[in-house]
Amino acid sequence: MNGSIVVTGAARGIGRAIAERLAANPLFTVIGVDIAPELGLANPSIVAVQVDLTTTEGIEAVGRSIDEAGLPLLGLVNNAGITRDSRLVNMSDEDLRAVLDVNLGAAFHLSMALSDLMHEGGSIVNIASRAYLGNFGQFNYSMSKGGVVGLTRAMALSLAPRVRVNAIAPGLIGTEMAMTIPEDVLEKMVDAIPLGRMGSPEEIANVVWFLLTPLSSYITGHVLVVGGGRSLG
Amino acid sequence: MNIFRAHDVGDDWDEVRAELTRAFEVAREAARAEESIVFMVHHDDLLGRRGPGRAMVAAGLLSAARSAALEGSRKGWTANVVAFDDDADPTHVERWAKRLAEDPAGITGELLRVGVSHIGKALP
Repeated sequence: MNGSIVVTGAARGIGRAIAERLAANPLFTVIGVDIAPELGLANPSIVAVQVDLTTTEGIEAVGRSIDEAGLPLLGLVNNAGITRDSRLVNMSDEDLRAVLDVNLGAAFHLSMALSDLMHEGGSIVNIASRAYLGNFGQFNYSMSKGGVVGLTRAMALSLAPRVRVNAIAPGLIGTEMAMTIPEDVLEKMVDAIPLGRMGSPEEIANVVWFLLTPLSSYITGHVLVVGGGRSLG
Repeated sequence: MNIFRAHDVGDDWDEVRAELTRAFEVAREAARAEESIVFMVHHDDLLGRRGPGRAMVAAGLLSAARSAALEGSRKGWTANVVAFDDDADPTHVERWAKRLAEDPAGITGELLRVGVSHIGKALP
């Protein structure tokens, strides 16, 4: 059926790949949300909404864009995220607050605001991270992504059977963010991945597609790690 | 002794963030002192059974503990989580938390579940 799907953090990286993967299907109107101004250039078939999701105004603007699309809301992909890495002993209060507000607070607020609007059979996909299993220098990021996992489970229970809610925990993905990692460090990280390479944003988008569509109609409250086997190595 | 027991929060972001921030402050002080830390959460919250607010706190603390454990492993301190259910004997829960805070004996980044309600359920 025709409907709209909201994707946050849609300007770059994984979020952009997700938005473009979904927008390639003529049944879907993708509402791409991001604070970044380049969002509108990403793809002319994506409705661009440039807002700050850590504000009430930003959340309300997303709601208005759904109304304007005039289509049933079939899906929500909470992808927006940032990192502020440092060792715990050096981590500032602001490093914690910023990461929690964007990675967890925005997902919480948007999920709560849109869940009543979701069409029966709809699906929410939260992009967590393999770091929810723990990662050095990422106390704040792990906390936020663990929180996303908790949010996923709680909302899966509260929205069932009308709406399914799942999470994806990507491992090392070849985004601009990964390219900021020093080359020698990146090489060691890739060596620890059984599949021997970084994942691509498109590979995450494919899993989002699976979780958004009836292909996964009996799956809810699940966290799917997409990391090339890194959690085993 | 660094034992952080998560308070019950509502489905309110300010409450959730305040609780996670309180845990962060305790953990950071423990890390600076190179002392072990234990987070205590309700098992139902790890599975999201008591609402998103509590679930975000409990699951957030478990993940944060795993990251803290990696840092502590280089300095000799540990980070663990004790989860309990409503039927767990409170003296057992306290005993395990105290044990892991005082004498973790090589245990770190672990989730110790006191009670039986987790059996047959998802692994958080």
